Formats: sequence, C-alpha cells, structure tokens
Amino acid sequence: MTRDLVIGMAGSGGDGVVAAGEALMTAVALDGYYAMLTKSFGPQIRGGESSCRLRVATVPVPSPGGTLDVAIALNWDDFLRFGGELPIGGHTVVIYDSATGVAPDQIPVAGVRPAEVVPVAIGEMARKAAGTDKAKNTIVLGLLAGWFNLAPQHIVSGIRKRFAKKSAEVVAQNERAFQSGLEYAEAHPLTSDCRLEGAPADAPPKLVTDGNDMCAAAAIFAGCEFFGGYPITPSSEIMHFFNREIWKHGGTMLQAEDEIAGIGAVVGASFAGKKAMTATSGPGMSLKTEMLGLATIAELPLVCVNVQRGGPSTGIPTKSEQSDLWQAAFSAHGDVVRPVLAPVDVADTFGVTIEAFNIAEHYQTPVVVLSDQDIAQRKESFDAIDTSVFTLEQRRRPTEDELRDYLRYRFTESGISPISHPGMKGGNYLAAGIEHNESGAPTANGEMHAKMNDKRIRKFRPLAGRHDLFVVDGPDDATLALVGWGSLAGVLGEAAAAARAEGLRVKTLVPKLLYPVAADVYARFFRSVQAGLFIEQSHQGQLHRLVRMFVDLPPGIESLARSGSNPIDAGLVLARVRQLARGLQQARAPMVEQVG
Amino acid sequence: MTTVVDVYVAKDYKSDLKPIWCPGCGDFGVVQAIYRALANIGRAPHEIAFISGIGCSSRIPGYTTAYGFNTVHGRALPIAQGIKLANPELLVLVAGGDGDGFSIGGGHVAHAIRRNLDLTYIIMDNQIYGLTKGQLSPTSPKGMKTASSSFGSMEDPVNPLLYVLGYGARFVAQGTPADMAGLAAVVEEGIRYPGFAFINVQSPCITYGEADQQLKAQKQRLEPLASLGHDPSNRLAAMELAQAYGTKLYTGVFYRDPAPGPTFEDLARERQAQLEGQRVTREHVLDAFRPE
Ligand SMILES: Cc1ncc(C[n+]2csc(CCOP(=O)(O)OP(=O)(O)O)c2C)c(N)n1
Ligand code: SF4
Repeated sequence: MTRDLVIGMAGSGGDGVVAAGEALMTAVALDGYYAMLTKSFGPQIRGGESSCRLRVATVPVPSPGGTLDVAIALNWDDFLRFGGELPIGGHTVVIYDSATGVAPDQIPVAGVRPAEVVPVAIGEMARKAAGTDKAKNTIVLGLLAGWFNLAPQHIVSGIRKRFAKKSAEVVAQNERAFQSGLEYAEAHPLTSDCRLEGAPADAPPKLVTDGNDMCAAAAIFAGCEFFGGYPITPSSEIMHFFNREIWKHGGTMLQAEDEIAGIGAVVGASFAGKKAMTATSGPGMSLKTEMLGLATIAELPLVCVNVQRGGPSTGIPTKSEQSDLWQAAFSAHGDVVRPVLAPVDVADTFGVTIEAFNIAEHYQTPVVVLSDQDIAQRKESFDAIDTSVFTLEQRRRPTEDELRDYLRYRFTESGISPISHPGMKGGNYLAAGIEHNESGAPTANGEMHAKMNDKRIRKFRPLAGRHDLFVVDGPDDATLALVGWGSLAGVLGEAAAAARAEGLRVKTLVPKLLYPVAADVYARFFRSVQAGLFIEQSHQGQLHRLVRMFVDLPPGIESLARSGSNPIDAGLVLARVRQLARGLQQARAPMVEQVG
Repeated sequence: MTTVVDVYVAKDYKSDLKPIWCPGCGDFGVVQAIYRALANIGRAPHEIAFISGIGCSSRIPGYTTAYGFNTVHGRALPIAQGIKLANPELLVLVAGGDGDGFSIGGGHVAHAIRRNLDLTYIIMDNQIYGLTKGQLSPTSPKGMKTASSSFGSMEDPVNPLLYVLGYGARFVAQGTPADMAGLAAVVEEGIRYPGFAFINVQSPCITYGEADQQLKAQKQRLEPLASLGHDPSNRLAAMELAQAYGTKLYTGVFYRDPAPGPTFEDLARERQAQLEGQRVTREHVLDAFRPE
C-alpha cells in the first residue's frame, strides 16, 4: 500500500493518453484524493506524441514527483521521446502494449532495471471489447483501476458522462473496454504492491482546475471588468476563460491585434475607472513594456500576467521556466518600481491574483503576476477555497470636497493621490506619459520630476512590511535554508521535509512578493543561516541575484539554478542539501579540536 | 423641480494651458474647430475623453477641458477603444499626427475601423515629423528633402484617405484650418456619426513643412466636395476622389455609410444582456471547478 503514486503515460496523438489522464484526475478528485496532472506534447499541433503524468496522494501533492511508480506506454518510441519528463527508476512498474514489438527484457531504458515489466495486449483488448483501437485508453483506465485501486465507480460514471453526447453504443463500448481492463488486472496480479491507500473517509470534496483558469476566475472575483490580450502559449486559456465568463458579469474583453493594443486597451479601461487585466507570455511581455511605463507614470492600476515559458525570444513555448523575473522587475526606462508577484501552485493563484489587483488598486500601479507554464497548464485537485477571507481594494476616489480644488497628482504623505475618471464632474485632468505637475499639466522642470519620482517610488514603502506575502517554514534557528519561488515552491517543501526526516535542521522561505525586494524579511530569515540554496529554473539564478542587490546574504548561500525543460526535482535538491550539511559539519570539526 | 440644462459655448472647452505650438502652426486652427464642434454638440467636458499619441499634434487634449490622455507614440487608438468599451457613455475623441497614426501606429488603424467603436479619429496630417524636428513622415511626398532624406525621399507616400476607405471605414472626411467653418462642420459630423469616424486634417507645419502646404496656399486650391456634387454614400466614387490625395485638396465628407449598423459596444452590450441570466455571483466563480 502506498499513500502517493506517480503514474506516467505516453502514446501517439490518437491514443488519448491525455484524455485518460484527465478522466483519472476527475475520478480520483471525486474520491477525495489530492492529485496533480501535468501534460506534455511533442512539437506537432495535432496527432503527434503526447504524454501526461498524474500524481495521486492522500495528502496535498507538492510537485509532479520524481521517477515514476507506474509507466504506461502505448508505444515505446513515443514513451522514450519524453525521457526526461517520464523517468523510470528501480521501483517502477512498466506496463506497455505488447504489440509494440519489444520483449520485456529489452525495455530500453539505459542503466535502469525496472521493478516489474508487464506486457499487455492493450490494442487487441480494445478491438475485442469495443471494436476499435480508440478504446485503448479506456483499457488502460481499467488496468489502473484494477491494479492500483483507482476510483472504478467514478471512472465508469465519467465514461457515461463523457460519451453521453455521442451514443449509447459508444458508452457501452467504453464500459466494456474498461471492464475488460479491470478483469485482466484482477486475473493477473502484480508482484509489486503499489495499491493506493483509500482516501480518508471524511475527505472533503475537492476542486479541480489549472493555473490559467484559476487566474481568470480570481480576476473576475476581484472585480475585473475588462480583459485585453493577444493569443500566446501558454497564457491563452486566461483569455478563453474571460471570453466565456466576463459578459455574464457585465464586463468586456478584447482580442486585440497585438500585445501592445491588448495592454493599451487595458490602460484605457483603467483610465475609464475599471479594474482591468491583460495576460501574455515572454515575447508578448517584451512588447508590453512601453505601456507598463505609461501606466506607471500616469499612476493607473492594472494587472499584467506573464505566464513564463522558456526564453529568450520564442524559446520553448510549451515548457516552463522562471527566467522573466529580471524583465518583470526592471524592463522599463526611467526610475520605476513595479510590484511583481508569483503564485506557488494552482490554488494559490487565486489569492495571488486577487492580491495583485489589491496592490494595483491601492498603489495605482501596474502589477506583474509571474505565473509559469507549469502552474498555468497543470491540473490540481485541492480543497475548497473559503472566498470569504479575501478583502477587495478599490482605488481611492476623490470625495466631493476634494473635487472642489482637485489635483490628480497631489503630493500626499503616502504618495497616493485620489484618482478620478471620465464622467466624474470636477475631476477633469490630463493624464500623460510625459512628466507633469500636481494638476497633470506637462512640465520639463527637473525639480518637479525629482519630486514626482519620489512620490511614485515612496508610495510603495509599505510593501516592504508585507510579511504575509512570504511563507516561512521550519525551525526558526535552523542553520540550513532553502529559498524558491513559483512552481518550484512545492519541490522545495518536499526536499525540506525529506531533509528534516533525516535529522537536518532546514527552514524554507517562499516569497510571493518578488519585487520590490522586502529586505527585512530576507535579513530576518537568514540571521541563523550558515548555508543555503536558492532554487530556480533559470540559467542565471535570477531571484538569487536580485535579492543580493538589496540584501547582504551570509557567505554560504549558493544558487541551484537550471534552465531547460526538465524541472528540478526534490531528489536533486535533497542531494545538494546533504552536501551543504556535510560541509557545515566539516567546517565545525577543527574548531572542536582547537577548543579541546 | 426645475432641471438645469447646461449650455456650452466654445470657450468652455478651452483649457488654461497655453499651447506651445510654433506661432502659425495649423494645429491652433484644429483645436479651435474642435471647440466649436463640441459646443454645437453640447456634451459636458467631464463626459468627454480626449486621447492622443505623441507628437506636436498629440498635445491637443491638454488644450481642452475634457478628460485628456496624452499617451505613448502611436497607441492612442487601442487606449481609446479600451476607454469606450469600459464606458460606452463617454464621448471619445482620438487625435495625433500622420507619423503617429500611419507609421508607428499604422497597424492599429485597420483594426479600429474593423471593430467600429463609436470614436472620432482626427489626424493632423502635416506630411512631416514636427516634434522630432523635421524627418520624413509616411505622407511626405516622394522626393521631399527632410532631415532624414537629405537627397530626397525614395519612398512612395501612403494615402491616408484611400487606406481607411480600403480598410472599410464607414465615415471618412477631410478638412483644413484654412477653412475653419468647413473643418468644424466635418468634426461635428464625425462626432455625431454613430461609429468609427476618420477625419484627415491638412494641418500645416510652419516650421518644417513645404511652402505649398501652408494655409495661404491651401486657401487658393481647396475644393469642397459638396461643390463637386459628390454623393458621399458612394464608396467607389469616394475612392476615386481620394486618389487625388497629394495633388488636389478636397474638403468635406468623402464617404458616409448610409446604413451604419451596430457598433462594437452595441454588440458587447447585447451580449452582456443575453448572458446576464447565466451570471453566478462572484463568490461562486470557483463552482465551475467542482468535478462532477
Ligand atoms: C516609441 C517612440 N519612438 C519615437 C518617438 C519619438 N517621436 C515623438 S513624436 C514623433 C513623430 C511625430 O510626428 P507626427 O506623428 O507626424 O506628429 P507631429 O509632431 O508632426 O504633429 C516621434 C518619432 C517616441 N516618442 N516614441
Ligand atoms: S514643429 Fe510644426 S507641427 Fe510642431 S508645433 Fe511647430 S509648426 Fe506645429
């Protein structure tokens, strides 16, 4: 029995492995399990090879996991194309379609001998039970349900719902295929025992979605009434969700002619008084830069989501990276502070997106949300979110009194001035990208420019005290530390837990506010620390270097940074933590001798 | 109870900001014409949003009492569309230079026309870059010598009138401050037109412009389309006349679609009304993620 199972599947386009993964995801969520589903596709848009990876557990799932517990190949060649994403280890059970022409002792995985190799005539079973190859994925669902104890009732009701629109015959075919897989598994038990423990009987109902849909839903919850964007992988689903939902809320969306127009319309909507958002990925973010500067100087709230993908330029559109941090923080001319936030998983995307709107509205500023392809496109099952805990901020409007001698950019103590919008009598002003005085009138006066810069930067000071936007975990006086952000937060937590189980004193810091750098939070966290790692999916370790611009870190802090499409897994982090711990011990040893 | 009906006159739209255009710049006349047109229409200044890009001409919103937004170079149209979609009740004006609209911002014009929001787009076409001190513009005639074409331009100019007619614009007109009454009239008509209206204004640059483009020369050669007996509901005839851009100076309405049809914001409101019944309260947005 196991509490945590990682299943990887791969096949050709028509094999439906992703559909099988989705069906399984829904079924286990209904059973009350936590789960995470990641998908991967070959470069071909339709009909190419595809894979998915499902991690199911009785406890929240922090990451996609390392090597697979179960590998399912409808075709070996396709499976091997995903080598880095679907790694096989010594404990893996490999199940594959025997028609593939590979013998069990030939399973071609360099240097690894899987625990068990099970050839099954998957295609033949599909043809026999359903009369079509198309049912191969349903056979697989039957095998998984039988061998690993995975939600058979919910899979069957899922099949009924999914094919109800087609015909009774298709439903029956798929039910037969499922049954045939199930019976096969029961008749041919595995030697390894990796049946999944039942979910706790009182497991609360789970929600299931991905980061992109969550981001759009959060924006609508936050009161966003306008979306402007341009399609780009992997952010487009945010626009799709808005398009389906926003009209129902009396709002509008625009698929613009390019990213500049997309964010331009958002700037306009914000000027007109509405909460507004745009979403994009790498190259689109580059195009939006000039408009972000405009919104900064015009002091207009807006949220700009960048779902990071591999870069630079078109890079790898379908793979995750964390390499746009410097761009988010610094790609502006002139003196600019632009708040940057990052969610750590699908559920967290809800709160972080709302926070982005709150910061945007409160400080009258563009805010960048750095999501990443991993969070954006993976599905998670998680506990229901209590929406009543969120408060929503609105930009500060001028009162009747303030409208009598209204100055849009009035110097206030906080640096925040009440903002009017067209339609508001007495609030008329000229917004501009050009420097202006308190009323908004253009000026080239150097002193005024310095004062305005000071106003625009000073207003962000309270962000430095937002300890609530940082997650600290572990013993306060730990000497070892891990820092990571975005989708790597789960990996980091998993590695820290494993290290603690080995007796190492490790604490973790996960910033959700990446910029401005809250120097105090880092300084306090690192006080007890002698060695540590910043874990990041970028070549240059962008957060590590960004933090060092503002904070003096202790000497033993290193960067574990890697770009490339194969995510950093907890095993790799744990290995480095052990190394650091050994280093600390060795450094301490001679000291003991001296004292003695 | 008595209702007070505000009546506005031209000077109600004139701001306290002193224009920094060169004395004699055509843009002075354009802003005057806009004051007049707005007074005839009578919308309160705080219900007007006046958006521009960057250039000498783009300073124009600051000289009015409307809500103004002097944005970045070439991007006034997307911003204006966002404003109109966010609040369709506003009267939204957009203005800029020929460089702003047809060079850097050229890509946006086709789409603003295609989307057909109720905006009025005024280009102050001086065939030169004024603000950056006299470089080639997309409407500069071939052979013109400028700071960036010392030996004469080697490019064909764009024809703004033909461009927008080709893109399917529903209202296309041309004016010049050399004929103030005519200019104020086309601006007013453009604003009243229920959809995207394009107005090309031959607004001369006295500092870097060609001699034959100045107000005096324009006065001699302008020809009102009305006096030619042109039928503004005939798009092909309008395109024919538009061919003369750069040689003749026709003023007035080239084309006015007699059946304007719904605007983008009309369609958006229709869709909102259709789907309103399906609205879930915000607290329930996450219900969509409950598996079944
Ligand atoms: C992205 C960007 N590129 C270049 C400029 C510099 N620039 C400002 S105005 C302008 C051209 C102005 O010409 P036009 O639009 O015809 O207006 P005019 O000044 O003649 O009224 C240029 C190139 C800028 N502000 N922003
Ligand atoms: S440079 Fe030309 S366009 Fe600019 S203000 Fe002077 S005259 Fe007008």
